[in-house]
Amino acid sequence: MDDLQFRRAIYADPNNQDAEVTLAQQKDASKKQFAQEMNQLDEKIKQALQVPVPDHLCDKLILRQTLANHQVQKRKTRVYLALAASVAIVAALLVNFMQFSSAYNNLGDYALAHVYHEQDKFTNNDSNTVTLASLNQKMTAFDGNFSESLGKLLFADYCRFGGLKSLHLVYQGKTSPVTIFVVPKNEQLAFTTAFNDQQLFGSSIEFTNSNIIVVADKNESLAQWQQHINKTVSWSI
Amino acid sequence: MMTKQVRYEALVRALHGDLYRYAYWLTHDKQVAEDLVQETFLRAWRALDSLKDEKAAKSWLITILRRENARRFERKRFEMSDYEEATIIDTSSVTTEQEIENQWLRNKITQLPPEYSEPLILQVLGGFSGEDIATILDLNKNTVMTRLFRARNQLKEALEAEPVKRGMYNG
Repeated sequence: MDDLQFRRAIYADPNNQDAEVTLAQQKDASKKQFAQEMNQLDEKIKQALQVPVPDHLCDKLILRQTLANHQVQKRKTRVYLALAASVAIVAALLVNFMQFSSAYNNLGDYALAHVYHEQDKFTNNDSNTVTLASLNQKMTAFDGNFSESLGKLLFADYCRFGGLKSLHLVYQGKTSPVTIFVVPKNEQLAFTTAFNDQQLFGSSIEFTNSNIIVVADKNESLAQWQQHINKTVSWSI
Repeated sequence: MMTKQVRYEALVRALHGDLYRYAYWLTHDKQVAEDLVQETFLRAWRALDSLKDEKAAKSWLITILRRENARRFERKRFEMSDYEEATIIDTSSVTTEQEIENQWLRNKITQLPPEYSEPLILQVLGGFSGEDIATILDLNKNTVMTRLFRARNQLKEALEAEPVKRGMYNG
């Protein structure tokens, strides 16, 4: 390694640890001295470059970041809150909708479903009977009155019919109980005059403030029941 | 979120000094250097997740800082006045001989053309190797080595040329 090369290498990097450069230093004392001088100069340069750093700079940097971060988090919290509120509102609306709207949109379907739901509770040969007087007492809630009994009344009580308070009557029929609902008029459930499925059929009679629905098996004569009801029921205003 | 904050604080504590000094030598202005460092760390925070290798943090930050510095010139063209005025840190009030020598050398380093002083600062202050400097400055290694050679050569010549003047400071 010639002198010029060596000097260039040391000038470029005084801490040069290349094998060639180290070897050249070992061989030649003047080269070693030169390298040491350059190292000293470098040390001086290093000292000169160490300008004082402002004391507060580190804290300032962290503080600035913490503040910026805090702002972002606050914004995020607000977004999460809004999201949570939206979810809550949707959930509330959904519950509301499920609870207060019926799954059926006409009287017939609902009546059939209702009858099937409570089918097991009643048999045609139940010994319980309800008197006309107690039936009429219940009918006062609908401003109605039966002048005479339609048959053997096995059960009479209020129930929920599409979210409405209604009267559920079960009469002894020819082969299975006949169900009669007295339902206040409701816009949600469309009026259906007649309806049926494989087992049951039914019909509705429309009165001023209420509908009376008869559901029976197909051995019954619905027309007869309707006629009977029309004859015996009367409504006070 | 917390771990990112911890990482960031560690980064700031470990490297803000080096970064500030580098910025100072790049701009020769305390205030501008401080602003640059702040801007750099703000950008570093945003991109902190992209920093996978903690060892590379220093050169990563320096790269960001250089880009910020370049942006500063895009935004606003500073008049390239000479540095003599108040731009150099005044430490001559601290009258130790060492400080006076440092001050003298600082002036000399400031007078170096930026393309010479920048690799020198990266090498001496940042402890980067020739390859690292070449990567940071986007130059090839030979160019970097030549510039380092010229930088030191100029400083050494200046040092040898002005022993008398330096003596005046001592008196």
